[in-house]
Amino acid sequence: MEQKKNFTLREQLRILAGLFSFTKPFWLPFLAAIIGMAIVSSINAYLPVVIQRYIDEYLTVNNVALGATIRMSLFYLSFVVVKMIVVYVKDYCFKIASEKTVASMRNQVYHKVVHLGMRYFDQTPNGSVVSRVTNDTETIKEFWNVFLTFLDGFLNAITIGVAMFSLNTNLAWLFMAFVPFIIVLIYIYQKYSTLIYGRMREALGHLNAKLSESIMGMNIIQHFNQEERVKSEFDDVNQQYVAARNNMFKMNALLLMPAINLIEAIALFIVLWIFGLRHLEGLAVDIGIVYAFTSYAKSFFHPIGNMLDSLSVFQDGLVSGARVVSLLDRDDMAPSAGLNANGSITEGKIAIQDLSFSYDQEKEILQNITISAEPGQTIALVGQTGSGKSSIINVLMRFYEFSKGDVLIDGQSIHDIPVEKLRERMGLVLQDSFMFYGDIADNIRLHGDYSDEEVRQAAEFVNADSFIEELEGGYHAKVIEGGATFSTGEKQLLSFARTILRDPKILILDEATANIDTETEKKIQKGLENMRRGRTTIIIAHRLSTIRDADKIYVLRHGKIIEEGNHESLIDRQGVYHDMYQLQTFQENS
Amino acid sequence: MFAILKKLSWFFKLRWKSYLFGIVALMICALLSAITPLIIGGIIDQMIADTLTWQDLAIQSGLILIFAITMYVLRYGWRTALFGNSTLLESIMRNRLFSHFTKMDSQFFNEYRTGDLMAHATNDLAALRFVAGGGILSITDSISIGSVTLFSMFFLVDWQLTLTTILPFPLLIFAARYLGKAINKRYRKSLESFSQMNNQVQESVGGMKVIKTFGEEENHYADFIKDTDNVVAKNREVYKVDSAYTPVIEGITGLTYVLTLFFGTYFISTGRITIGELIAYFSYLSMMAWPLLAVGRVANTLERGNASYNRVTTLLSYASHLEKTENPIQTPITGDIDFEIQEFTYPEGKNPVLQETKFHLDSGNTLGVVGHTGAGKSTLFKLLMRDYDHYQGKIMYNQTNLKKYSLDAISKGIGYVPQDTFLFSTTIRENIRFVNPDLSQEEVEYFAQLADIHEDITQFPEGYDTKVGERGVSLSGGQKQRIAIARALATNAEFLILDDALSAVDAQTESQILANLRTIRENESTIIATHRISSIMHADEIIVLDKGRIVERGRHAELLQNDGWYRRMYEEQQLQQKVEEGGE
Repeated sequence: MEQKKNFTLREQLRILAGLFSFTKPFWLPFLAAIIGMAIVSSINAYLPVVIQRYIDEYLTVNNVALGATIRMSLFYLSFVVVKMIVVYVKDYCFKIASEKTVASMRNQVYHKVVHLGMRYFDQTPNGSVVSRVTNDTETIKEFWNVFLTFLDGFLNAITIGVAMFSLNTNLAWLFMAFVPFIIVLIYIYQKYSTLIYGRMREALGHLNAKLSESIMGMNIIQHFNQEERVKSEFDDVNQQYVAARNNMFKMNALLLMPAINLIEAIALFIVLWIFGLRHLEGLAVDIGIVYAFTSYAKSFFHPIGNMLDSLSVFQDGLVSGARVVSLLDRDDMAPSAGLNANGSITEGKIAIQDLSFSYDQEKEILQNITISAEPGQTIALVGQTGSGKSSIINVLMRFYEFSKGDVLIDGQSIHDIPVEKLRERMGLVLQDSFMFYGDIADNIRLHGDYSDEEVRQAAEFVNADSFIEELEGGYHAKVIEGGATFSTGEKQLLSFARTILRDPKILILDEATANIDTETEKKIQKGLENMRRGRTTIIIAHRLSTIRDADKIYVLRHGKIIEEGNHESLIDRQGVYHDMYQLQTFQENS
Repeated sequence: MFAILKKLSWFFKLRWKSYLFGIVALMICALLSAITPLIIGGIIDQMIADTLTWQDLAIQSGLILIFAITMYVLRYGWRTALFGNSTLLESIMRNRLFSHFTKMDSQFFNEYRTGDLMAHATNDLAALRFVAGGGILSITDSISIGSVTLFSMFFLVDWQLTLTTILPFPLLIFAARYLGKAINKRYRKSLESFSQMNNQVQESVGGMKVIKTFGEEENHYADFIKDTDNVVAKNREVYKVDSAYTPVIEGITGLTYVLTLFFGTYFISTGRITIGELIAYFSYLSMMAWPLLAVGRVANTLERGNASYNRVTTLLSYASHLEKTENPIQTPITGDIDFEIQEFTYPEGKNPVLQETKFHLDSGNTLGVVGHTGAGKSTLFKLLMRDYDHYQGKIMYNQTNLKKYSLDAISKGIGYVPQDTFLFSTTIRENIRFVNPDLSQEEVEYFAQLADIHEDITQFPEGYDTKVGERGVSLSGGQKQRIAIARALATNAEFLILDDALSAVDAQTESQILANLRTIRENESTIIATHRISSIMHADEIIVLDKGRIVERGRHAELLQNDGWYRRMYEEQQLQQKVEEGGE
C-alpha cells in the first residue's frame, strides 16, 4: 500500500528531514566531498581557458616557442593531476560518508526494532521486519547519489557560468537564456517520470505476484485444467509490463539525453552564428574563445541530463525512506517499569489478581483471572488452544501490557520491578526451542558472562551433558541455523540448560514438552524435576500426565478459569479436567 | 565472450528489421557527430584565413542544426528499437518459462523452490535483457563511434598527430579491465558481508521472544553493530578501487590532451595542420573515451548474460517424468476405479510410502480413507490423479489404464480439494468459478450453498466480490476449505476427492456439507481422506492406512466390531468432542 502512494510536498520534506538528520555526524566527509566537487568543477571550467589562452596567445599569432609549449603542457598536466587526486578524494569521501550514514541509520533502526513490543513481531511478518532493517536502508544509499548528482550539476553550471561571464558576458547571457527551458524540461520530466515509473513499478509488482502465486498454485491450476487460461492471463500482465517499460523508454528518449544533446547543438549553432556574424561585420574574434564556448556547450548541459536521469532513483528512495522513518516513529515499545521502579524478586511468590487483558483493546482474551503460587510451589495451567494460557505468560513476562487487575510478585506490582531484573529472575522455556548459529556452549551461555565450568554444570543439571559429550567437539560442536542437526528433544534440553544457568527464582514452562514424543519426554523428565526443585514453577502443559503432581491446577476456557484445585480434587469433581484426563489416558494407551 | 550472441541469434533473426534500423541509426549518429567537429574546425579556419562568407556560415552552421535534429530523431528511433527489443526478449522468455512451468510435474516443483524459480524468471531474464539492449548498443556504439572517430582523426585531421597522441588510450582498456576485476573481487566480499548482516537480523527477528526472555536486546544490538561495521569495512575496500575509476579516465584523457597540445603546436608550426583542425581534434578526443570504457563493460554484460541463458535453458529442458502415450484418450475418466499398487516410493525418498494397497470403487460409491499423518493418504490421491508414474502396479479407470488417458482427461474427470487450501488472490466469486469463469452468479451461489459457505460470504461487506489473500479479508481456515470445496464442486466432475479437506470445519458444518454431497452426488464417486471418523462414517467402504499399508477395511459398523485402530480412534474422538463441548 505504501508503494503506490504519491507523496505530497509536505510528506516529502518530512521524509527528507528525517533522512538528513542521519547525515549530521558525518558532516566532515560530506563537506570535504562538496568542497572537492567545487574544486573539480572549477578546474573543469578553467582547463578550456588554459587551452584558449594558449591558442590565442601563441598559436594564432604564430608565436611558438618550445619553452612556452613545455611550460604550457606542464601547467595543464599539473591541473590534470590535481584533478585526479581531488576527484578520487571527493568520490571516496562521499561514498564512505553515505555508507556510514546508512550504517548508523541501520543501527538505529535495529535498536528500535529490538526494543519494540512483542505485538509488533506478532503482527509483522519476519520478512518485512528484516527488509526494513537491511533492504530499505540499502535503497537509501542509492538515494544519496541523487543529491550528489544534483549538487554536481549545480556546481558545474555555476562554475561554467562564472567562466563564461569572465570570457564574454553577452555570450554567457545567451547560455543563461537556456536555463528556463531546462527548468521547464525538469518540471515536465519530473511530472511524467513519477507517473510512468510508478506505473512500471506497479506492473512489475503485479507480474511478480502473478508469477509467484501461479508457481505456488500450479498444482491447483493443473488439476483444474486451467493452464491455458492462466497462461493467457500471465501474458496479459507480462504485456502490461512491456507496455509500461516501452513508455518509459519513449519518455526517456524524448526528454532525456537526446533532448539534452539537441539543446547542446542548438547552443553550438547560436555560438557559431554569433561569432561568424561578428567576424563578417569585421570585428575581431578570438579563436580561443570560440573553442572555449564550443566545449562549454557540452559540459554545461551534460550534467543536467544526469540530474534528470537520477529522478527515478529519487522516487524509490522516498518510498524506502518513508518506511524507515515511520518505523522509527513507532511508539509501541515493549512495556517497561516506571522510572522509580526498584523492586526485586527474592522469594518467588506470585499473585495474579483479577487480571483482564486484551490484544486489541476490544476482545478480552483474559477475564478476571486470579492465580496464586507460594514460593517453591508448582502450579499448572491447562485448557484448549486459545483458552488464554499463553496470554497469561505474555503478561507475566511483560511481553504485553495489561489493562485491568494486577500481578504481584513477592508482594510488589510487576510495574514496580525493572523489566531487566524481572526477566533475570524469571526463566521461561518456550515450546519451540530456538537455536542460534554458533556452538553448543554459545547456545547455553548466550551473551551471559558464565565460565565453561558453569555452562557444563548447567547442562549436567538438566541431563543434557550425556548427549553433548557424545557430539564431535563436545561443547564446541557446531550449531547451524535453526539447530537443524539436533532432535527436538535435544534442543529442548539445551534450552533448559540455558534457563537453569541463570538460576531463576521463578520457572515458566510454556508447553515445553509439547513437541517431544512420550519416550523422549521420559528422558528429560529427570532434568525437569531437577529444575523445579526450590523454584516457583508455572507449567503450561498439553499433556496432563506431566502435571499430576502440581500443587494447584487451573483449567481455562475462553479466558476464564473454570476449575481449580489439585489433580485428585479435580478428578473427583468429574468436570472438564476429568474428561480431558480420561481422553489422554485413552490416547496414551492406544 | 560472444557465445551468448550466437545463442540469441533466433531472437536477432526474429527482430532483424528493428535491429538493423537501430544499428544503422546508431552508426549514422556516430558519423554525424564525427562530422560536427570538422564543420566547427572549418568555420574557425575560414575565420582565421578571413575567407568566411555569409553563405558559408549559413550553410555550415545550418548543417549542424540539421544534423542535430536528425540525430534527435534517430536517437529516439534507436533507443525505442533497441530497448524495446530487449524488453520484448525478456517477455518472450518469461512467457516461455511460465508456459514451461505449467507443464511440469510435481517432481519439478519439489526440486525447485518458488524462490529459485522466481529468481530465474527475474534476475536471469534481466541479464538477458541487458545483452539484447545495452549490450548490443555498447558493441555497436564502441565499434561505430570508435572507428568513425579514429578514422576522422586519422584521415581528416592528421594521421601523424593521431598516432602520436592516442598512445595512452590502450592503457584505458587495460585500466578498465584491471579495475573491473579488482572491484568484482571486493564487491563479492561486500555482498557476503551484507548477507551475513541480513542473516543475523533474520535470526534475531526469528528468535525475538528468546532474546527478550533473556533480556539480551542490547547484546544483539552490539552484535549487529559489528555486522554493520563489517559491511562498512568491506564497502570501504570497494570504494577504494571504485573511486579510482573516474580519475584514471580523466588522467588518461588529460594525458592525450597534453600530448595533443604538444604535438599539435609542433605540427601547426610546420604547417602540417591548421588551428581549426586542432580544435576539431580536441572534440574527437573527448568522444573517444566512452567507447573504450564500454569495451570493458560489454565483456562483463555478455559473460553474465551467457551464464543466465544457460541456467534458463537448463530449466526449459527439464522434461516431465510422466510417460508419454501415443494417441491418449481425451474423454474424461469415468466409471469404476481399480487401484492396485504393489509399491511406490517418492523419487527423492528411500522408503516406500505405499505398499500392497488395493481397492475397487464402484462408480457412484464413496470410499473413506483414514489413518495417521504420513500413513499415505495424500500419496494415494496423487497416484489417482497421476502426479507420478513410476509405481509398481496399475491404476484403472473403467478397465482402462490411467496412463492411457491424457492429463487433461484425468483432470477434467476429477474435482479435487487439496489438504492445504490454496486460493488465488482474486475475488471469492472468481475462486469458486475457477474452472469456468463463465458461470453465472446463481450457479456460483449454488455451489457455495452446497459447501455451506454462502452465508459466510454474504456476511462480508463486499460479498462475492471480497478479495482473497494478503490485501483482502482474512478468511478462517474453515472458510478457505469450504471455498475450495465449492471450487471443486463447480467442476461437475464425476470423481470428487477430498484430501482432509474438512479439518478446520466444525463438526456440525461438516455433517451439513457431507449430507449435501450425498444428495447431489448420489450417482457419482467420492473419495474422502480424513482424520475424523465422522467424515466417512457413511462411506460404502473405509480403508485404514498405516505406514503405507491397508490394515483394516470394511464399513463403519464392521470396523467397530473389529476392535482395532478404527474403533479406538472412533472412541477417542467421541471423548474429544465431549471435552470440547464440556463446560458449556
